[in-house]
Amino acid sequence: MVSKTEETQLNRLENQVDNGGGGAWEYLCLVRKLKVRRSEKVLKHGLSILNDIKKRSSLGPDEWTLYEQVAIAAMDCQCLDVAKDCIRLLRKSFPESKRVGRLEAMLLEAKGAWAEAEKAYSSFLEENPLDQVIHKRRVAMAKAQGNISGAIEWLNKYLEIFMADHDAWRELAEIYVSLQMYKQAAFCYEELILSQPTVPLHHLAYADVLYTLGGLENLQTAKKYYASVIDLTGGKNIRALFGINLCTSAIGQLAKGRNKEDKESSELQSLAATALEKDYKQRAPDKLSLLTTALKSLKVSS
Amino acid sequence: MALNLGFVVGILGVVILSHAAYSTVQYRGLLKIMEEEFSGPPLNVVVELLLGLVLCMWAALTVPGTFLSIHPHSEENRIVSLPANLDFMIFNHRARVFPVEMDLNLKH
Repeated sequence: MVSKTEETQLNRLENQVDNGGGGAWEYLCLVRKLKVRRSEKVLKHGLSILNDIKKRSSLGPDEWTLYEQVAIAAMDCQCLDVAKDCIRLLRKSFPESKRVGRLEAMLLEAKGAWAEAEKAYSSFLEENPLDQVIHKRRVAMAKAQGNISGAIEWLNKYLEIFMADHDAWRELAEIYVSLQMYKQAAFCYEELILSQPTVPLHHLAYADVLYTLGGLENLQTAKKYYASVIDLTGGKNIRALFGINLCTSAIGQLAKGRNKEDKESSELQSLAATALEKDYKQRAPDKLSLLTTALKSLKVSS
Repeated sequence: MALNLGFVVGILGVVILSHAAYSTVQYRGLLKIMEEEFSGPPLNVVVELLLGLVLCMWAALTVPGTFLSIHPHSEENRIVSLPANLDFMIFNHRARVFPVEMDLNLKH
């Protein structure tokens, strides 16, 4: 989870490091902690630390963590030579390590040697059939080869064993959304909301999926979830505010004539619209006219 | 500096409290000699007690650290993005077509 303060801190450090202000190690630690994907920067700044013997030896045992981080970043940037060198050094200091073995298999993946990588992963799984990371790598490998249905199959098998793994649920939901299988995606997001009820982004994604599915009942539920996002973020999520407006006008179109709770819903819509206008006035005054026309068209159609 | 100040105030509070306890014990001893019933500590001891309580409380609230927000929408708690799902990271994306324009090497 990346909170607002952590995001600002990350951006500040990134700026500082990019402009040569130092603090590269802190930046790399923060990237690792927040699990964000900044491979190019990690590669650049990580290598600058690793190539400087003085800086490298001052890290102590953390040096090896950095080698691993840089190796993965290098694979992500397709700098396979760097990755190979890092893994070679790691292998030299940890000859028996499975974690290094995993990196070697990932290098095979990055090269595109799918059959060899698959062989390596299956031999790991024979030794330890409950290694979660290896299972996930197999899913990723199926996805990388374009075998999406295979990836779904692997993921479903994986989730039968490790039901509490919310990262895997999120991955499955995103795959389903990419295939436009919204009903299945909605189920995954329900699981996510159950396991992490305080994360507004799951509520938001669930509401988005329900809004896309359409239908009066789904739209009403979507509106409720958009409202819960506003509740959890204190009204600072623009997407949720727009969602409320869109849902209200869509419901108004569907339920023409039968306006039972019309008054309450229009009040919610006008509140959301006011919040949006206030935010636009503060942060992007030149785009305010665009917003007002958009909101007006929504109100006219309802 | 703030920690030191809070610490000194805390010690002062504890000293005042123990002094209040000592004076109460002494007062009871005096009452025993005068053969009167003990109904409550004298007013100046009560004032001393309250003062010690306030000082100790202030120190206990400031010395250990600052308070963290529990509101879900505060800046520290508001989640703005989820971590990239790095366990499912895949490598055949556009980096393969657009390699990084840097001469990077591990030099050892």
